[in-house]
Amino acid sequence: MSTRINIGPVHPSTHGVLHLAVDIEGDTIKDVEPHIGFLHRGVEKLVETRMYMQSPPYMEKLDYVAPMSYDEAYVAAVEAALGVEVKERAQYVRVIELELQRIASHLFFLGALCNDMGQMFTMFMWVFEDRDRVLDLLQEATGQRMFYVNMRLGGVTMDLPPDFTDNCIAFLDHLDKRITEYEKYLEKNPVFIERTKGVGILSAEDAKALGVTGPTLRASGVPYDVRSAKPYYVYGKLGFNAVKLEKGDNFARYRVRILEMRESSRLVREALSKIPDGDALGAPIRLIGPAAKNRVVTVSRELPRGECMMYMVSDPQRPYRLSIRSPCFINLYALPHMARGQRLADLFSIMGSLDLVMACVDR
Amino acid sequence: MDEEIDHNSREFLNAKQEMDQLVMDSMKSEGKPNAMFAKLSDLFKAIPVSSSMVKWSRKNSLWPLQFGLACCAIELMDFGAARIDAERKGYLLFRATPRQCDVMLVAGWVTKSMVPEVKRLYEQMTEPRHVIAFGECATCGGPWWESYNIVRGIDQVLPVDVYVAGCPPRPENLFAALMKLQEKLGGKVGD
Repeated sequence: MSTRINIGPVHPSTHGVLHLAVDIEGDTIKDVEPHIGFLHRGVEKLVETRMYMQSPPYMEKLDYVAPMSYDEAYVAAVEAALGVEVKERAQYVRVIELELQRIASHLFFLGALCNDMGQMFTMFMWVFEDRDRVLDLLQEATGQRMFYVNMRLGGVTMDLPPDFTDNCIAFLDHLDKRITEYEKYLEKNPVFIERTKGVGILSAEDAKALGVTGPTLRASGVPYDVRSAKPYYVYGKLGFNAVKLEKGDNFARYRVRILEMRESSRLVREALSKIPDGDALGAPIRLIGPAAKNRVVTVSRELPRGECMMYMVSDPQRPYRLSIRSPCFINLYALPHMARGQRLADLFSIMGSLDLVMACVDR
Repeated sequence: MDEEIDHNSREFLNAKQEMDQLVMDSMKSEGKPNAMFAKLSDLFKAIPVSSSMVKWSRKNSLWPLQFGLACCAIELMDFGAARIDAERKGYLLFRATPRQCDVMLVAGWVTKSMVPEVKRLYEQMTEPRHVIAFGECATCGGPWWESYNIVRGIDQVLPVDVYVAGCPPRPENLFAALMKLQEKLGGKVGD
């Protein structure tokens, strides 16, 4: 006989507001049913009522842990619809900012994961200290702390400030040391090992069948990353390698993010050394002119949480239709597959390892 | 399994009844350790609620509820983290259950499906309770003003004490908001 218990929508570990109906037998999970929609506010509909470049602030609030990545994906879709080329220096600036944003997002993931496991507030304090430094760098570069709105058609709103390179390299040197410290702290911690190794296994076949993307997919042994599969901007020139691990358990998903932070740090250094001089500023939309009617564009981007696709049908002044493939929405539905047969106490470490943002799920 | 459960039995009384019963029991026979409860409750009855001592203690022990809705919750977490360090002013006692809290920080947009939950949380908090509308969305609906599924400001549902502007407000603003709330509860707050 199984018992149904309800978790959420307000619960410290559901990463926002998510309602989970869990069927348990004893302490073993039989089934998990996620009930979503508590943050739904109809972004896709709102965007249809706005001019093209009035929408980026809405896009940033889709994923508030890594706002710039969504902003960039939307602007890239508009650029494709209008046929705008991105300037070369701007491509480098975008890559630098996106990778810094990815580092901030993965740092946040570490803190949230350890919080979900119940006891490691230390980790939360450490990662927020480093995350604040990333936000400082981005604030220096864009003028905002959290919602940057730094993308314009064909470029960026603000170029990098003169002392950005030095500050950024100093931070990355600091970060590399800190990541080693995190590894030492977590991977020798018996509680952390106990709650991650062999817990919540997702096989490569299941992951592919469920449409899971991002670090969760790469932890299951599928080296699919949009940055290497369909390189955009200068990722091809910077020699990007997708990270891949085989096990598919919580520990692999944690490990993939650590390796990705190292890779991002390397990419930012590489981009800073190769960045060309010139103009990086984008143009306002009135200088570019109206879009064609009924042009359908699909743009695919690798966000910190997985692959995001923007499907847009254009109209002269505003998007006729925008459909967003949100990575979190699809990754959430891998949770029942991973949780079945596990202990109830491990449910939140599994959910934490998926790195969900509920605003991205509900849209 | 088939045993009948008596819901009026001692084990199924709710907390208040149980506590009352405990106090009554202890008053009957002095000398038991439970006599402590009776004396404490008499002491609290003796102090008027409007006295300066009650005011002072309410002002200086704010217990916020750990309750995040959206973007502003990230800044709320930053408020508790290493750089801002809310604990130096004694604010960081975020509890996960509303029954231990008296300050609700509404951080994020409130959708129509979320209103019953927010209301229920508010009703579960201990009195006197206060609400801080943190950020544009909780203040007036913010960027989602025209959305079909949004409550335009939490003040349509709950009585709000302090509004904080910003999208999202910086964590420092939350300091100012909590100091404002303290001022409201009992006079000026020193630095």
